[in-house]
Amino acid sequence: MFVLKNAWKTVTRNKGRNILIVIIVAIIAAAATIGLSIRNAADNARETGLASTTVTATISADRSKLMEQARESSSSSSSSSDSSSSSSDSAPDFSAMRAAMESATLSLADYQKYEKASSVPVSSYYSESTGVSGTDSFQPVESTSSNSANSSSSSSSDSSSSSGDSNSSGQPGQGGPGGDGQGGGDRGGMMMTSGDFTLTGFSSDTAVAKAQNGTFTMTSGEVFGYGSDDNGKVIISKALADFNDLEVGDTITVTNPSDTSKTYTLTICGIYENTTSSNTNAMGPMGGTSQDADNAIYTSVSTLKSLGLDSTTTANDDDDNTTTQLTYTYVFDNADDYETFASDVKKAGLADTYTVQSADVENYESSLVPLDNLAKFALTLLIVVLAVGAVVLIVLNLFNIRERKYEVGVLTAIGVKKAKVAAQFAIELLIVTMCGIALGVAGGAAASVPVSNQLLAAQVSSQETQAASQQEQFGRGADMGGAPGANSGSSDSSGSSSDSSSSDSSSSNSSTSNSSTSGNSAPSAPGGDQGGMRGGFNRAVDYVSTINATVNLKVVGQLILIGLGLTLVSALVGIIFVMRYEPLQILADRS
Amino acid sequence: MTTATINDTINETNADAAADTAATARTDTPVLELDHVSYSYTKGGKKVLADKNYKFHAGRVVSITGPSGAGKTTLLSLLSGLTTPSEGKVLYQGNDLAKADRYRYRSRDIGVIFQSFNLLPALTVAENIILSMDASGKKFDRPKKEIAAELIAKVRLQPEYLNERILHLSGGEQQRVAIARALSYDPAVILADEPTGNLDLATQDDIMAIFRSLAHDEGKSVIIVTHSPEVAAASDEVYQLAKLVRHHR
Repeated sequence: MFVLKNAWKTVTRNKGRNILIVIIVAIIAAAATIGLSIRNAADNARETGLASTTVTATISADRSKLMEQARESSSSSSSSSDSSSSSSDSAPDFSAMRAAMESATLSLADYQKYEKASSVPVSSYYSESTGVSGTDSFQPVESTSSNSANSSSSSSSDSSSSSGDSNSSGQPGQGGPGGDGQGGGDRGGMMMTSGDFTLTGFSSDTAVAKAQNGTFTMTSGEVFGYGSDDNGKVIISKALADFNDLEVGDTITVTNPSDTSKTYTLTICGIYENTTSSNTNAMGPMGGTSQDADNAIYTSVSTLKSLGLDSTTTANDDDDNTTTQLTYTYVFDNADDYETFASDVKKAGLADTYTVQSADVENYESSLVPLDNLAKFALTLLIVVLAVGAVVLIVLNLFNIRERKYEVGVLTAIGVKKAKVAAQFAIELLIVTMCGIALGVAGGAAASVPVSNQLLAAQVSSQETQAASQQEQFGRGADMGGAPGANSGSSDSSGSSSDSSSSDSSSSNSSTSNSSTSGNSAPSAPGGDQGGMRGGFNRAVDYVSTINATVNLKVVGQLILIGLGLTLVSALVGIIFVMRYEPLQILADRS
Repeated sequence: MTTATINDTINETNADAAADTAATARTDTPVLELDHVSYSYTKGGKKVLADKNYKFHAGRVVSITGPSGAGKTTLLSLLSGLTTPSEGKVLYQGNDLAKADRYRYRSRDIGVIFQSFNLLPALTVAENIILSMDASGKKFDRPKKEIAAELIAKVRLQPEYLNERILHLSGGEQQRVAIARALSYDPAVILADEPTGNLDLATQDDIMAIFRSLAHDEGKSVIIVTHSPEVAAASDEVYQLAKLVRHHR
């Protein structure tokens, strides 16, 4: 009581000095408040951002590892043709690698096995895509008439025509096959074998809703069912229907791209129109992955199976030219479940050459880049401010105590215990710093929201500038995506997946490198093999641009703890000084 | 305002201490006693005091005199409990101070008037006095400010001095405040270091009158360290410290 009273009196007596300390502490506290609230908000954003939304994930091959293995094992020669069509491949290693990649593709059974291995609730859907060729009576929508029923020549004929649609469709078709397509979620991996049409089988409505070409609406008829009853039913795009003058109820006949004698008869049960326009450029990677969005024929998985075109069947037969690309997507309730699933499948025996990826999570992560930078900045700010604050407080307190040596002497001489004197000094400092912290928190709370948003905006714009400059650099760097890929691919054959595909495309098609690479690298980027750089600029990332840096009780609590810590540290100086004081010294202090 | 009323107004919470004070006032038991006290600043170093024996009784004014270097200030610090002797004991009411809580002793049992007063200059007269009262931990039956006002009157200062800062007071006035502070918690022993050192003769007499009154009327043991012959002459006893005899080393 005596100590408290005395401390309070002393505080009120030395107004000038204490106001100075209050101001210093307030500034420190305000900066610390902003720093802490930014960190807090960044943490919250990270935690809650994906907690409530569903997350989709895919399993894809880690191609760099596959490539290594392939390089080690392969010495075989060039001519063996592989699934991804181009027979005119001159570089021997490519085919070996493609073979390795193809064999690395997981089967439907594998996917389902891993789904069962999950310890968290997971739902899934999948789609299977294959290429089919048209017949005389049923032709794809195309601006030129160079359509051919032969798949092996289709890509070359496409490329030679070099008109926008068919060109851009051709390369991603080839680029898609490996892990990239899967890595990109639904986007990448449509086309293994180039036919005139993409025949895609869906497992459920969810799968249809997530169709590569985007959402669509039915203009007439209805979507097929998924049971075997509805086998043979397909829906086609309105453009295709108009082009071939077809209506609901008509039947169409398509052929196996590798064997024109095999024909499939399908019944049109509906005609759809893509909600997103058929302009493939606007769709970016998605539009590019199918021959043409208009040439996509949708059906059920069951239909594909009945036609012998499903992935399990095609994987087992020896016909390399007919391969069905399987896109299997897991759906989780939140990002945590995704993380759990990723570790579960590893335990369930997923080889190292595969990775579980989620475009949702990765997109979200990259949208958080500015926020992360801001949080780092906030941490630096916090550390600097606290270090400086501690030093300033200690120095001030040191001078303060030295000045008050006489007071210590008098107090101990009249019988106040040293511990009490030390406590009094500490409490004085505490009262002052708490006032400062209260002011600082108030100021910081008022300033933190606008300041942190300002800082975040700066981070976002710098991020965007960086991305833009990268894009500019690479765009100017000439035939771009193809350049890094093709160069390395041809020189030492260590090219990554998209490299090989782009070298393919450039070999077969020289005229469209720009459009092809933009289509190409975009799907590959989410695949993660290429690292963040390409993904950084190709993906239109919607950066988190606001931050809710309001000061909550947690921040205030942390600040008070920090304040207590700082006060104790600086009070320690005074305490040591007082405890070392000998009361006898008062006889020498004759001020 | 008589000294008796002051005495009545200060209620010691410690009944034993009150009884002891009364007892020492009546009997010849010494309040403070030096028992073969020697002191050196460092162990085995030069002895500033050697084998001193003396008994201080209640109700007496004792002057400690001696030439410079005889150890007057050292004796003062020993008696006030600021330090402990190297050899021998300082006994307060029969208890060895070296083993007692000397902070408590300083805050309750002895009032020291330092040569340089050692008042806090930033505080007012009343605040200085009340600070000592608070530090003693004793309870008072009246507001401390009121007691401080009585003490100010007792040392013959005008009441308006109460709220004056020490900084604004002269040496003689500060001396009186220091005395008032020493009396505020009603200690059994008053110890003054050169209380008249820088005062004029008239003030000296005044101060000495106060001390004599404290001893004779209130039964306190008043010990004055001084080299002034006038002060020595005005006291009941004189304890002469001789210049240290060298062969003690």
